[in-house]
Amino acid sequence: MPDADKRFAEEWRDAAYNCFSSGHKFCREVCPVMQVTRNESWSPTAFHANVVAMEKGELEISDVAADYVNCTGCGACELRCPNSLFTGDFYRFRTRTVDLVKAARALAVSQDVHQDAWRRWNAETDERSHEPVTEAAGQERVRDWAEGLELAIGGETILFVDCEAAFHRTSVPRAVARMLNLAGYKFGLMNEQWCCGGPAAEMGYEEQARRFARHNLDDWRASGVRRVLVLDPHDYITFTEDYPKYFGDDYDIEIVLVVELLAELVREGRLTPHIPVERSVTYHDPCRLNKRKGVWREPRELLRAIPGLTFTDVDRVTQWSYCSGGGGGLPIEKPELTARISASRIDKAAELGVDTLVSACPWSERPLSEAGRARSIDVVDLFELLATSLGVAP
Amino acid sequence: MTVTALSDPVLGELRQILGDEHVLTGKADRLNRARVPAPFPVHRWAERLPDLVVMPGSTEEVAEVLKLANRLRVPVVPRDGGTGLTDGAVPLRGGILVDVKRLNHIKDLDLDNRTCTVGTGINALKLNERLAVHDLIYPDDPASYPCSLVGGRIGTSGWSLIGSRYGHTRDLVLSFDHVLPSGQVIHVGDGIGRKITKSSSGYQLKHLFMGHQGTLGIATEATLKLFPKPEAEFSPFWAFSDYADAYRCVGLLARAGVATFAGAVLFDEWKVAYLRRDDEAYIPQPSSVKALVCAALYGYADEVEAGGRRLMRIARDAGARYLGDEISQGDWAARHDRYATPLHGRTKSGQVAPMSWHCEDASINYTNLPSVRLAWHEIADRLRRESDVFDDWGMFAYTNGATGADYLTEIDIGIWEQRLDDRTWAAWVRAKRDLAAVALAHGGSISACHGSCREGEVDLVPQELGGGFEVMLQIKRALDPHNIMNPGKYLLDQAYGAPS
Repeated sequence: MPDADKRFAEEWRDAAYNCFSSGHKFCREVCPVMQVTRNESWSPTAFHANVVAMEKGELEISDVAADYVNCTGCGACELRCPNSLFTGDFYRFRTRTVDLVKAARALAVSQDVHQDAWRRWNAETDERSHEPVTEAAGQERVRDWAEGLELAIGGETILFVDCEAAFHRTSVPRAVARMLNLAGYKFGLMNEQWCCGGPAAEMGYEEQARRFARHNLDDWRASGVRRVLVLDPHDYITFTEDYPKYFGDDYDIEIVLVVELLAELVREGRLTPHIPVERSVTYHDPCRLNKRKGVWREPRELLRAIPGLTFTDVDRVTQWSYCSGGGGGLPIEKPELTARISASRIDKAAELGVDTLVSACPWSERPLSEAGRARSIDVVDLFELLATSLGVAP
Repeated sequence: MTVTALSDPVLGELRQILGDEHVLTGKADRLNRARVPAPFPVHRWAERLPDLVVMPGSTEEVAEVLKLANRLRVPVVPRDGGTGLTDGAVPLRGGILVDVKRLNHIKDLDLDNRTCTVGTGINALKLNERLAVHDLIYPDDPASYPCSLVGGRIGTSGWSLIGSRYGHTRDLVLSFDHVLPSGQVIHVGDGIGRKITKSSSGYQLKHLFMGHQGTLGIATEATLKLFPKPEAEFSPFWAFSDYADAYRCVGLLARAGVATFAGAVLFDEWKVAYLRRDDEAYIPQPSSVKALVCAALYGYADEVEAGGRRLMRIARDAGARYLGDEISQGDWAARHDRYATPLHGRTKSGQVAPMSWHCEDASINYTNLPSVRLAWHEIADRLRRESDVFDDWGMFAYTNGATGADYLTEIDIGIWEQRLDDRTWAAWVRAKRDLAAVALAHGGSISACHGSCREGEVDLVPQELGGGFEVMLQIKRALDPHNIMNPGKYLLDQAYGAPS
């Protein structure tokens, strides 16, 4: 067994045994990949058991690297794991399947075991400093979404816009910027924004991820940034989990989640949605907000503040088993699997008889919109909807 | 075996039947279908690999696979949730593993006859999410409720926590499509349609094709009995200062004849001591608390309230101390998730060790519970003296039915599985045989719930079944002349001339 495999197995051995020895698989029916494929090789349990098999010399990372593609990083398995459920409250223990999958992917890349589409994607990201989410994605176009909004560059507080929103779902950051302006909240844009590096880290390209993170942190430091507003849940994970791991105590940037900030502004009366939006909606809990960060109140609070909406809610725990399929690099390597997961999510919305599915994650909105078209369900972003009701439609 | 499952013609034919995507040959695909939660030394994991895995999408595909296997004499092992505790889904002789998880569709929901027909790869929790919009439930409720699948429940003839109210799997599954080892598809159950609950026409074959642990074929589509979703649930917990009082009380509760009574559980003094010592989720009780009892009632609010008052009175008169609504509600909800909770046990010196939970069950009459308990703890104590990889986590006894005749009796043993070597494994197998012998010596059954085909316990199955075991061999030989279905289980090789 290669040394790197051995080190990996040693690092993850105890965690893997905790899962392997119980072997009870509560995770399986909440896992979005497992739900549509029914393939146990791609279950969170298998991801742990493989580590035990590696430790015993039965497997090498090259045998299983392609299996580890089949994870959206949604975190449902961690919440549903009996080991998390019962010791979590007392010792803050949480089964760390998402981290394990990331580590396995990084191990594969470190041994030159690549997934073709991921390798191309990350190489292009490296060239452009941004993910190739559209043909046009690149450094010179990164602020195009803000055209006409006359936003300042730099300042103590900046708005960080993820690649998908900056180049594809541009109405989302426009909505956010216009609402913050309306509330008189002062912010600027980043001097030279690169991709946050999170996607590279998720696909196993760790060196690249760290390089991008270093660039962004240096850029913030150089222009005196103290606070970063984040509208994308994926960025939020990167900035609050990956960056602290990379930079340790040096990392002293305050990260503010835009959905929480807007809920506060509405609560304080600095923003008052007043234009009725006549839609029948349900809300899609983005995995990285609901399952990984426990953020589910504020989006509902905002939806309930919009007049005219008929809001049919599905509780956050039921939504542990929902996912758009848009995370963890899955749509890049296995778009057909993402499409099946998002179709399954749209089916659940369709059963409620709503005309609109509201999300709060730009990365979920492309696959969900595609699936929604087949069922005549509109997919809109919470921020677009809120901005419309505030009279500052993007 | 004339060919191995992996030879090219077999692989080619399987790919033709199922499509390339649903024939898996990778090492990880096979490793991850070679295990169940029952303990097994990890260094021997690779002994139980299937040669390949197929994932059929229809009854017809399952039938084609079995025809092929029967023609070529290749072993076939069915696997559904793989959550069983008697190794039913574990291949002992390689061959083709038939993973039926893709058969998870709801084919029919009949609100007027209160039935639904589903693929056997569906999970009851997921099914109940769909039934909830119609205010219905399918009340098959094992500890593995979030992950076990209907086909596995049929193959093991499963036991349900609320079986005293709604019955167990054999009562709840009305009928099913079953693929015989020859590949022939039959429909098993009462009546010519799918939805008859009682007939007296001909042999009652349904029970024969439940609990066979995959040795008689594969169920692919099942029709299930549905009930109104209970409007109310009441689950009182009571504390006692000694086991004898708790034992007396649980008997009184179970025999009370309350219609909404869904089950009762007795925790013995080892169990309470263990919870106190090592379970993070346990809400500490004064040290005077030595045993616990809980009961559960399900139904309409007015029925549950009246029945609940009666049980509360019975318990109070029996000297019980009610633990209050908060503990009662929380702990009962937790029962469903108390499957793998503790991440650790202790060595004899008190050192914390990473251990996982393993549960051995039997069916025991009420009157024999106290003596079985003592005999079983003695066996657990011997294990503990033999090695620090074992820890005694106490016993539960759960009512099997509404009259209080017998109980699923369970001893939980913590096992430090990373350290399980050949010597400790042999000790474990011996202990399993001894646990089973105690159950039989007390007029019980080796298992109420899991089945009894693992090493150790399986040796005593002929003793339990008596002349019935010979009938079992004859049936096996008649239905599976080439011994392709899950060979090596339940001593059934004896049907083909292996020494007994």
